[in-house]
Amino acid sequence: MAATYGFKACRKIRGAQIRGLLEAKEFFLFDCDGVLWHGEKAVAGAAQVVNSLMRQGKNVVFVTNNSTRPRDKYVHKFYRLGFTAVALEHIFSSSYCSALYLRDVAKLRGQVFVVGCDGLRDELREAGIPCVEEADEPDATIYDCALAADVKAVLVGHDDKLTFLKLAKASCYLKDPNCLFLATDNDPWHPLSSGRILPGSGSLMAALEVASGRKATVIGKPNRYMFECISSQFPGMDPAQCLMVGDRLETDMLFGSNCGLDTMLTLTGVSQMEEAHQYENSEEYQSLVPDYVVDTIADLLSAFE
Amino acid sequence: MAGSKCVRLSGELAKQLLASVDSVLFDCDGVIWRGDQAIPGAPRVIELLKEHGKKVFFVTNNSTKTRKMYVDKMSTLGFNASEDEVFGTAYCSAIYLKTVCKLQGKVYLIGSNAMKQELEAVGIQQTGLGPDHIFGKQTDWANVPLEPDVKAVLVGFDEHFSYMKLNRALQYLTRMDCLFVGTNRDTRLPLEGGTAVPGTGCLLQAVETAAQRQAATVGKPSRFMFDCVASKFHVEPGRCLMVGDRLDTDIMLGSNCGLKTLLTLTGVSTVAEAEANQKSGCSERQGMVPDYYVESIADLLPALQG
Repeated sequence: MAATYGFKACRKIRGAQIRGLLEAKEFFLFDCDGVLWHGEKAVAGAAQVVNSLMRQGKNVVFVTNNSTRPRDKYVHKFYRLGFTAVALEHIFSSSYCSALYLRDVAKLRGQVFVVGCDGLRDELREAGIPCVEEADEPDATIYDCALAADVKAVLVGHDDKLTFLKLAKASCYLKDPNCLFLATDNDPWHPLSSGRILPGSGSLMAALEVASGRKATVIGKPNRYMFECISSQFPGMDPAQCLMVGDRLETDMLFGSNCGLDTMLTLTGVSQMEEAHQYENSEEYQSLVPDYVVDTIADLLSAFE
Repeated sequence: MAGSKCVRLSGELAKQLLASVDSVLFDCDGVIWRGDQAIPGAPRVIELLKEHGKKVFFVTNNSTKTRKMYVDKMSTLGFNASEDEVFGTAYCSAIYLKTVCKLQGKVYLIGSNAMKQELEAVGIQQTGLGPDHIFGKQTDWANVPLEPDVKAVLVGFDEHFSYMKLNRALQYLTRMDCLFVGTNRDTRLPLEGGTAVPGTGCLLQAVETAAQRQAATVGKPSRFMFDCVASKFHVEPGRCLMVGDRLDTDIMLGSNCGLKTLLTLTGVSTVAEAEANQKSGCSERQGMVPDYYVESIADLLPALQG
C-alpha cells in the first residue's frame, strides 16, 4: 500500500487489490479533465464509480486546475454527464481556491487585476473580492491606458482574451512590491478531447514573470493550497485515508505527493506509462511517480460487484 | 584571462583603448539615445570615431525597425549612419532564417511590420502580422487552419500579441519540423516616450512554455549578431570594442566573441551590478563584467578631441 520510504510502486492494480484499496480509503479526490470526462463526453463507467463511492458513504471531492468555469456551471456539467449526486461543496477549482486565498489568506483590502476569463471573475465576485472592471477602448494603447487605483493583487489564469495591453497593465501593477502576484495554475498547455492542445495559464504566467521579474504564487496543483481548502471544509480529514486520482503526473501525482496522499494515475488522459517509468528511473522526480495505475477509473467498478 | 576588469575609463587609458581598436559596436537604447532623445555628445563621438578611421556599427535587439527606419531615426537625432552599419534583430532574424536555417517556406510571424519588410527583402513570405482576436469556441482554436507551407515560427516584439496568436504559434510548433526562432529575450522594450513595456522576452517565454520547446535566439548575447557584422566587414575580435548599457546582453555578447567591452551608465545596468558579477564565483556571471565603464559615451570626447 502506501509508500513509506518515498519509493512509489507505480503498479497497475486489479480485482481484489482494488477492493482492498477502496475499502481502506475514506476520501477520494478526483481530477476532472481526462479522468471523468473528455470535453463533453464522460469516460465510460466514470459516473457509476463516483455515484457508487458516494452511495457507500465515501467522501468524494473534485480538484481541478481548470479556472474557466464558476462552480455552479461545473455542477450543471457534472449533472449533464451523469454524475447526479455532485453538489457545489464537492467542487474545488483553482478559480474558487484563488478567491478563498485572496479572502482568507491574503485578506485582501483593495482590487484585483485579473488576467483571466469571466468564470474566474465570477468566483472572485462570489467571494466578495472586487475586480478591476476591464473596459479598454478598442484603440487604447500602452501610451494612454488608464491604470486603476488601489490594485493590491494581480491574478493570472486562462485568458483567451489576452492582449499585449493587459500584459503591460499587469506588469505596471506588479511594480509595487506590495501588490500580490498569483496564478490559478501553471499548466503549460491543456489537451482537448481531439488530442489537440491549447496554451494554458502557465504560458501566460511565464510571460508575466518575465515582464515583472517576480515569481507568481501558484494556487493550483501541484501546490498544496487546494488541499488546505478541502481539509478546512472536511474537518478530521486524514491524508492517510485519502486517494488522489488524476491523469497528469506533473500536476495530480505531484499534488498527491506534496500533500502526503496515495496517488492513482489513470491512463485516459495526458500522461502515459512510459513517462511514469521515466520519472521512476530518475533520482529527483520520484514524487511524480504514482502509487497505483489503472487504465481507466472504470476499472474501479470491480470493487462494487 | 589576466588583467583588470570593470575599470573606470578616462584620460590616457581612454586614448590607449581607442588606439587599440579598429571597430566599435554600439548598442542604441540607453547608449546613444534614450527614447527619442540623443545622449548629449553621442553624435559627436560617432563622428569623431569615424574621422579617426574607426569602423562604427550599431547592434540593437530592438526588432521594431528596419535598417532604413533606424537610419531615419538616427538622422533625426543628429547621427550620420548608413543602412550597412545598422544591425537590428528584424534584419538579423531574416538573415538567420535565410542563410543559417536555409528556410524553404513561409514564416508564422509574431512581430512587427519592420520584421515583415526585412523578411520580404530576403524573399521570405510571412503570415500572421497584425491584430488577431479570439473567435468561436475552444475546439475552433485548436483547429485553426494552418498554412501547409509555414516552416518556421518567428517571435519578435508585437503590440498585437494575443491569446489567439499564442495559440496559432503553438499549433504550428506541434509539428516537429517547424523551426522556432526568437529575435531576443529582453524583458523590457524602451518606448519613444521614455517609459518601458514588457519586451519580446515575455512573448517568447509564453510561446516556449506552451509549446514546451526552446527557440533559437538571434539577438544579443547570442553570437549571431556579431557574426553578421564580421561576415560583412573585416572585423577582428581582438581589435573590436563593444559599447553597451546592459550586462546580460551587450557585455555578454562582447565576452562571448572575445571583444573588448565598455559599459555606459546611461541605460539599464549599474557599476554595482557589474562588481557583484565580478565578485561572484560563477563563470557565467564573469562574462557580464565589462573591461571598462563610463558615465556616458560623451566621456570619450576628450580622448577623441585631444
